[in-house]
Amino acid sequence: MSLELKHVQITRKGQALFAPICLNIFPGETATVMGASGCGKSTLLSAICGSLSREFRLKGEILLKGHSINPVPMERRNIGILFQDDLLFPHMSIGSNLAFALPPGMPRYLRDEKVKHALGQAGLEGFEDRDPATLSGGQRSRASLLRTLLARPKALLLDEPFSRLDHGLKGQIREFVFDQVKKMNIPALLVTHDPGDMAEGPLIDLTTHR
Amino acid sequence: MPLTRKQHERLANVVTFTPHMRPGNPPKARADLPDQADQGISSGTGMGTFLLLFPGSVFFTFLVTVGAGLWGTWLPSLGYLPAMGKTTLTLHPWTELFNHPAIGGAVRSTLVSGWGTALGAFLLSGLLFAMNYGSRTWGVMEKMLAPILSVPHAAFAIGLSFLISPGGWLVRMVSPGLTGVDLPPAWVIPKDPQGLSLMIALVLKETPFMILVMAGALQQIDYNATMAVGRSLGYRPAQVRLKILLPQLFPHMRLSLYAVIAYSLSVVDMSMILGPTTPPTLPVLVVQWFNDPMLETRLMGAAGATLLLGMVLGSLLLAYILEKAIIRCFEWRVANGRRETLLSPMTPVGRTLLMGGMTVFTLTMVILVIWSFTWQWPFPEVLPAQWSFRFWEKSIHDLGSPMGTTLITGLAATMAGLVLTIGCLEYEATLSKTIAINRYKKCMSIIYLPLLLPQVAFIFGVQMLLTWFHLDASATGLIWSHLIFVLPYIFLTLGSVYRSFDRRIMTTATLLCGSPMKAFLKVKLPMLLRPILFSFAVGISVSVAQYIPTLFIGAGRFSTITTEVVALASGSDRRVAAVYALYQQLIPMGVYLLAIFVPKLMFINRKRMQR
Repeated sequence: MSLELKHVQITRKGQALFAPICLNIFPGETATVMGASGCGKSTLLSAICGSLSREFRLKGEILLKGHSINPVPMERRNIGILFQDDLLFPHMSIGSNLAFALPPGMPRYLRDEKVKHALGQAGLEGFEDRDPATLSGGQRSRASLLRTLLARPKALLLDEPFSRLDHGLKGQIREFVFDQVKKMNIPALLVTHDPGDMAEGPLIDLTTHR
Repeated sequence: MPLTRKQHERLANVVTFTPHMRPGNPPKARADLPDQADQGISSGTGMGTFLLLFPGSVFFTFLVTVGAGLWGTWLPSLGYLPAMGKTTLTLHPWTELFNHPAIGGAVRSTLVSGWGTALGAFLLSGLLFAMNYGSRTWGVMEKMLAPILSVPHAAFAIGLSFLISPGGWLVRMVSPGLTGVDLPPAWVIPKDPQGLSLMIALVLKETPFMILVMAGALQQIDYNATMAVGRSLGYRPAQVRLKILLPQLFPHMRLSLYAVIAYSLSVVDMSMILGPTTPPTLPVLVVQWFNDPMLETRLMGAAGATLLLGMVLGSLLLAYILEKAIIRCFEWRVANGRRETLLSPMTPVGRTLLMGGMTVFTLTMVILVIWSFTWQWPFPEVLPAQWSFRFWEKSIHDLGSPMGTTLITGLAATMAGLVLTIGCLEYEATLSKTIAINRYKKCMSIIYLPLLLPQVAFIFGVQMLLTWFHLDASATGLIWSHLIFVLPYIFLTLGSVYRSFDRRIMTTATLLCGSPMKAFLKVKLPMLLRPILFSFAVGISVSVAQYIPTLFIGAGRFSTITTEVVALASGSDRRVAAVYALYQQLIPMGVYLLAIFVPKLMFINRKRMQR
């Protein structure tokens, strides 16, 4: 179930953004890629999840559970991603936002139950019918993480998900995220510019990684 | 790069304490500066009072015109028309209306073409977006949108009838090879009694409009982020657009959809060219009755116009109920987790539809050009046997007066519309409380009424009103009536860009030059030149396309290119009709080109001004 980067490098107009990266992330572990803004760390994440824009080229191989996912379109990769912004769909209730991520083919009562259960786990009991806009920042980022996890991803990417949170909230959400990664036993990759965000797993510093 | 708030505040401080500042500047204002900057207030209270004149006069004009227009139609429908010596209220016009032999067929074809158009344009724009957005075909289509939308309805209708009629280009292309016919077949197309050719033409014309509105609304949503979230949850791109983006886009499209419903139920010029004839659609019938020499028939016309108003309002209500019902039905289904969609395998169908639509538009233009240069064109031939410039040459002698009227009316109405719109938006910019802005916007939504009501349902009353002011059949009256329809479109196209203008730029500019007016003229207007010119082009093309106001308010004394085109379309000479249809097309096309290239040339060395 591991996520493996084999000599992964991204080029733009023939210029490499960073030296080739080799990284093996085991299930339940969160690796960190550090670097200042503009060093290409978010681009690396979009390459892994499959949304690399056309101006960039990907070299090397990305393996999920030992299979190369380079040619697989984004929607079939089964990789969850959490952004800086919560990106909850503003026109749907919290419940619908979460149900949207559940796999198809479940009767409605079961979907409702799963959503309820997930909300309970994150301290958001009874939030099914709430408008995302009425939630606090911390509640929104927890809901956003729940939505990502309900899709049962085989790996999780974290694109500076804590950078918009207040200092006090940061630690709490961080712990919640790493806990969930361990519980689901999936590999996770965090990119950040803030050394305080760092996870316990392997670390690559792109500023020195030239 | 707009200044960040910090930079701007620093700049404000620097300016505040600049020694060479004129001593006349009140020190109080200086002390207030940081606060003012925070709220983005760029003008004092005196300016606000002056600016209040704009929304005030717009509100009053629209209230009076539409209100008097409606009353001036309702009362005659009850037999009350003092100008003609009728002062007793009676239901006689209504009984006459419902006993008229044409009414059933007219109402039926109106509803079929109107509802068919609204549903067709709405579903088609939504599905085309879901299936094609981001593809190369979609990119080509977006480039073609402005020219497509600039085609006046009448010119498009004539081009389309040259294409699909029995002796039209499409039949010629396959005859006699495929069809084996030497004479045009005896189809009743266009002008079929069901109103289907009218419906098809309207769908073709209104779908691009809905797509334009959708493209505008899309700028308010972070498309790429939404796409990334949706796809990372396992949804196909088409499914993300269908399930997540369209529901978010719809609220921005509602007003335009309602305008399409109202328009397609009450369109007159296009219906006279492509619609059924015996009986025609209800709006055409109403116009015929209004122009009847018999007073009783005119009163029945007023009743018919009011019936049409009821049909439109009922349809809008139905659309609203349908929307609620659909939301109830699909709210849960959106979150049912189905990742696959029938749309994905249907992508080639979507591409074909999109290409087909663009091809039809191109062909209608090409066939107009061909007919305008034709001398002789016997039936099954694909191209004319003899070409000629004669009809263009001849048209130049007859063209002067209608062309002049068209241009003067269009320019006057559009300039007035632009000044009023900018004035209203500037007043809005002086409001700082969200509640006040919302209340103001609610009040100003009165300007959209003319788009949501059938023109024939109140133009008769407007004519009465202008007669009362002795402005009927005058240039002022004509421009006034055009302004009522031009202004809402200018507001629609300019509003969102104007509102999103960064207030801090105006604050900075005002602080630097010391006068809000100067800052407005030297900084804001030039920066907004592109959107202003674009709404100018929209205004001109809306004015050029007006048929009903010119017909009624001009009272036969004014003819524009459009009234000429509609009159010629029913004539037998396709060549003359083609020439005039092209003239009608030329004006908006030219103005759109100006709107695109003038800012490009003016700001040729300014990368950020090139979008």
